[in-house]
Amino acid sequence: MCSVQEGEDVSPARKEKIVEERTCMKCEKKAVLVTRVNDAFCKECFMVYVTHKFRAAIGKSKLIRDGESVLVGVSGGQASSCLLHLIQEGLSGRAHKKLRFKPGLVFIDEGATIGMSAEERLANCTQVLEIMEKTGFPCYLKALEQAMELEKEAFTNTADQTDTASVTSVENLTKLHRYDKAEEELLALMDSLKSVSAKEDLIKSLRQKILIDLALKKGYSKVMLGDCSTRLAVQLLTDIAQGRGAHVAMDTAFADNRCNDITIVRPIRDFSSKEVAMFNILNNVPSVFIPRITTKAADSVSIEHLTERFVTGLQAEYPSTTSNIMRTGEKLHTEKKSSSENQCAICQAPLDTDVPPSSALSAVRFSETVSRCSSVTLSIFSTDTACCGGGTCQSEGQKESECCGQGDGSCQSKESKLTRDEVESALCYACRLLIKDLGDVSKLPKHILDDISQRQRRTKMKSEIEDFLLDPSNTPD
Amino acid sequence: MPIKCNLCEAGAILKRPKTGDALCKNCFYFAFEEEVHKTITDANLFVRGETVAIGASGGKDSTVLAYVLKALNQRYDYGVNLVLLSVDEGITGYRDDSLETVKRNQQQYDLPLKIVSYEELYGWTMDAIVKQIGLKNNCTFCGVFRRQALDRGAILMKVDRIVTGHNADDIAETVIMNVLRGDIGRLQRCTAITTGTEGALPRSKPFKYTYEKEIVMYAYFKKLDYFSTECIYSPNAYRGFARAYIKDLEKIRPSAIIDIIHSGESLSVKKAVKLPTQGTCERCGYISSNPLCKACILLEGLNRGLPRLGIGKSHKERRKLNEMLAQKEEAGNEKTTPDNSTETTENASSEKSATGSPKQKCENCSCGQKCLSEKVEDLQLDRRKIDPTLIDF
Repeated sequence: MCSVQEGEDVSPARKEKIVEERTCMKCEKKAVLVTRVNDAFCKECFMVYVTHKFRAAIGKSKLIRDGESVLVGVSGGQASSCLLHLIQEGLSGRAHKKLRFKPGLVFIDEGATIGMSAEERLANCTQVLEIMEKTGFPCYLKALEQAMELEKEAFTNTADQTDTASVTSVENLTKLHRYDKAEEELLALMDSLKSVSAKEDLIKSLRQKILIDLALKKGYSKVMLGDCSTRLAVQLLTDIAQGRGAHVAMDTAFADNRCNDITIVRPIRDFSSKEVAMFNILNNVPSVFIPRITTKAADSVSIEHLTERFVTGLQAEYPSTTSNIMRTGEKLHTEKKSSSENQCAICQAPLDTDVPPSSALSAVRFSETVSRCSSVTLSIFSTDTACCGGGTCQSEGQKESECCGQGDGSCQSKESKLTRDEVESALCYACRLLIKDLGDVSKLPKHILDDISQRQRRTKMKSEIEDFLLDPSNTPD
Repeated sequence: MPIKCNLCEAGAILKRPKTGDALCKNCFYFAFEEEVHKTITDANLFVRGETVAIGASGGKDSTVLAYVLKALNQRYDYGVNLVLLSVDEGITGYRDDSLETVKRNQQQYDLPLKIVSYEELYGWTMDAIVKQIGLKNNCTFCGVFRRQALDRGAILMKVDRIVTGHNADDIAETVIMNVLRGDIGRLQRCTAITTGTEGALPRSKPFKYTYEKEIVMYAYFKKLDYFSTECIYSPNAYRGFARAYIKDLEKIRPSAIIDIIHSGESLSVKKAVKLPTQGTCERCGYISSNPLCKACILLEGLNRGLPRLGIGKSHKERRKLNEMLAQKEEAGNEKTTPDNSTETTENASSEKSATGSPKQKCENCSCGQKCLSEKVEDLQLDRRKIDPTLIDF
């Protein structure tokens, strides 16, 4: 039973007591701030509390070993600056027990998505790079449009992180490297996605791809992200609203192992955004504000924006909301599929489209068919065929590949174009919604299309030799 | 230029909220009914020859459900006997009107009807309960009591299955609400189309994938008559937050409701998490995950003047009760009469007088004269002497 029942007689008393009168709950000295509902802290105890939570999160998971290379994603915002500061403190000699891993920092410039001018982007990058360089760790600078032209690479253990050729520094940064062709492709893709929710979803997936790709190329085995609990609670609800219920556990857990070689960790997932902000104020941690696609947008322009408003509004009335949501997320888990063929091509999460006939997915497919195809073809409806979306349809014919030529026997295509159905079969439920808006699936980044084509070829291969395969579980990856 | 219907050549008169397609009236009826039929056949909801009770409240969902099930039963020959079952919670001004609608439905669709009331079963009407507990948490009482009432009524009518008119919006709201409250057990079960197969009667939701807006549209065009007002006691329910969120989501992306249901179906719980196990109530024999079922606990609380027994965190309630006991001891063992304030439990002396005397009960329920609790004793709840150790504090 949620909702604060005894709220009526407790809250008036709470409002009268202001911070000046309260004492720290640990050391009884004068309190400087209040976290959660009633916990007052003085500055020293707060620092101890925060550092302890950070170290405990990393230590309890036993994932980060001594000497391991970890890539830290820095967005310039409050939470990632807080993370950076904590890492610095933890690695410095003064700390109680030194942290022992080797961080590298990366900043991804997303200015292309909101149409920022080149000068603005340069200014933002310079600011963030200055902050990153003060730490002394190797820094990398990437742009979101680079995600359009990634090459698939295998994990290299021996890559040299101190390879100075790729490390960026502020002195060298007089002009941003322009990836013009990729930027155009990205803008074309963004434009063809009509809803802002789809755009946000795509940006998130592309961002993740860049991080994973960089980690693979440079030999980092872990990626560390600065997501605080408020942001993760919003992410959880957004995932549920978009149909990503199967991946909720991965998106909000401490460790996310959707890619086989790289693990994504979130050490500050127990910190509320209020604690992060207080930490930054008390320690004068510098951060840069960079606008995103939904900054200053109208209310409920996208699902995430609406969910953020909902959660923060509810949190104001019922202070245990975010912790309830996080706890629910902790009790869930995602089944990890073995082969990469069972991963979504866009978000890398396990596919959740293998459903029994009585389920939401088949209900949706049926609704589309029954509203668009004439009743004659309903009799040959099966759960495998998706509706082509046309007016009068002949659903059997869609599986054949269409002829590209001009009807006289000449073949016109140099590369086979993927049909919409083929792309959809390699995506999870929520990513299918993403491309629903998309008019032309060939606008997707090339490496995704290549991945899907490869899967199609393998499926064809498998269907040819199916009768001779002994046990499904013995199929090689 | 008028828009053409997607399926036939007639002019379209509506846009489907679910998929946005333009359809004419008859094609819409066809699409709607086919979808419900598919839901029923895919999940094998009905078995030939069984009796199925439709939970009828007089509202849009149950009215349309009765109509559609009757039509589909004839058209596709499911071979089930349909009956209507209605629950009277005793809310003046709301339930009386909707019950009239149910009686009208019975005549229109020619189905047998049974009405069970909280008054007969428990001795308390919702009006009386709200006077005791106030406007927060009253939905808990109504919901718990209604569930049992439906089951008892169904047993009286010798029914094999209950169907309710829960639609896609309801299930999506429940998923969101359970995530916000952290209720893992319910989260796992709430997206199942049929619940309660062992022990109690199975109850199914044929409208699981049907949007609320489409149900209203169907009723509107078919000119089906129903009663549509909000329950007067519900404005502060926690579910209201989830509902507002879902309504906003639907504006951004109409398929969000089904997406939430898909998410709910794909959730899987870690094996290490402790989930409640099913047993039976020691008093009334109903299914329960604790020694006493929730309805018995709530009823006990109402009759003893501790309306918050069973609501809120038990250790906090116990702490409050102990504090009050301590205060009363200081004040010199005075026996206080319970007043009707809603937030705190006042009747400390009930802890001492373990066997509550019948006269004390009368002061708490709003009946002036003879207390109904004796009548309740005669009914089904086997009232043994109250043993505090049995109540799961």
